[in-house]
Amino acid sequence: MLLPAHDYAQPGSLDEALALLNASPATSRAIAGGTDLIYNMRGRLEQPELVVSLRRLPELQGVRQLSDGSLRIGAGERLADLLRNEAVQRWSALAGAIRSVASSHVRNMATLGGNLCLQTRCWYTNQSEEWRAGRGPCLKTGSPDCHALPGVEVCVALNNADLAPLLIAMQATATLASAGGRRELPLEDFYTDDGIAHTVLGPGELLLALTIPPPPGPAVYWKHSSRTGLDFSWGTVGASATMADGRPVALRVVLGSLTTRPLLLDAPVRTILEQGLGDDAIAAAQDALRGELGALTNLYTPAAYKRELARILLKRALLRLRES
Amino acid sequence: MNREMIRLTVNGDPYELLASPRQTLLDVIRGPLGLTGTKEGCTTGSCGVCTVHNASGEAVLSCLTPALEWDGEAVTTIEGLETSGRLDEIQQAFIDHHAVQCGFCTPGVIMSARAVLNEHPSPQMDQINDGMSGVICRCTGHIKVREAIRAVGSKLDRRV
Repeated sequence: MLLPAHDYAQPGSLDEALALLNASPATSRAIAGGTDLIYNMRGRLEQPELVVSLRRLPELQGVRQLSDGSLRIGAGERLADLLRNEAVQRWSALAGAIRSVASSHVRNMATLGGNLCLQTRCWYTNQSEEWRAGRGPCLKTGSPDCHALPGVEVCVALNNADLAPLLIAMQATATLASAGGRRELPLEDFYTDDGIAHTVLGPGELLLALTIPPPPGPAVYWKHSSRTGLDFSWGTVGASATMADGRPVALRVVLGSLTTRPLLLDAPVRTILEQGLGDDAIAAAQDALRGELGALTNLYTPAAYKRELARILLKRALLRLRES
Repeated sequence: MNREMIRLTVNGDPYELLASPRQTLLDVIRGPLGLTGTKEGCTTGSCGVCTVHNASGEAVLSCLTPALEWDGEAVTTIEGLETSGRLDEIQQAFIDHHAVQCGFCTPGVIMSARAVLNEHPSPQMDQINDGMSGVICRCTGHIKVREAIRAVGSKLDRRV
């Protein structure tokens, strides 16, 4: 099936790309690797009038080590290239997270920025156009109704960006660019609770680069999905800690794919900082998850499964930190 | 909707053709170029039967990329593996190890296998598994495929 009709532009510079996107922000979309956008266009989940190619923009490329040891990675870097980068390889949790994304075929095309901006998904939007037509449109495709969770007023589709949890745990900063200028924000503030406007990207704005500070201690990542290869995750966890005498003195734990935005945990982390990484402390941290998860949906996996999976992901991350 | 002339080198042959934003690389390869060895399967990035190689010999999914993105670039399809009527060693290995049943996925599976060998001339099992996780064979399964890849890899070992 042909893609929906649209115009295509291949600008030669970032400024040119931003001007094109700014000229008609509501009806334009940027394409990098294409593995998400083309999928969504083919399913008529997205029907932009203009597709602006970021493929040849040098401003979105490159991995640079900054003087403080941080890595600044262009959002247009292919995941496969990042896996071959020596600086990325030295941060094994990050390399592991990148390797967990989809398949080598997809990683040969998909980019860092594309993964972080991945469209949210639910079992309704994941169906073909014909299948969806049987139920009519949804919040995301232009109606007041949600078919996945009847009654909700805000889209609750899941964020499957596999790299987000670890990068948030590692305190990555996102640099955004628009025709109006640039801004930086912590990656956790890049995401929202709305499955439609699921990032804070403004009209015509692009994710330009990620800056990741050097890990102060051990960092761990785990992805749980139905198969090791290819599949979207059912749940992911990323964690980063500063350790002193076998105890974390600073800790960030983020759960992904369970909700519309990656969850930066609060109460379980406080429990661990107060009580350490003993078995009892870990169990207490698991119990402290109760208030953090909010209303879980039955998208892909039942809510009860997600609740249990969150406990397991947290425990697994904490045990790995303890062993490191 | 802007149709554009693109220059594309496929299997070493240069082409100039008019492509529409509505066409993927796969549409162009199978349509105007008539190279129907590359198959259309799921068109969602799950099955890998549309796998072709970019200029670096890496496996990419031709169904998920607009043709216009490939202006000026080189692509290899399953038709480009044989040289002067002689099969590539991975193609011969698929025959020798019975790694084909119905054959529909085979072009994509072979291009994926070739890409594994391009990156790792003597691949370890985890490298084979990782490189082949983006393709699905629903009838033969992947055991014979892995044997074929290992056979080519170990041949290289013996030559060293």
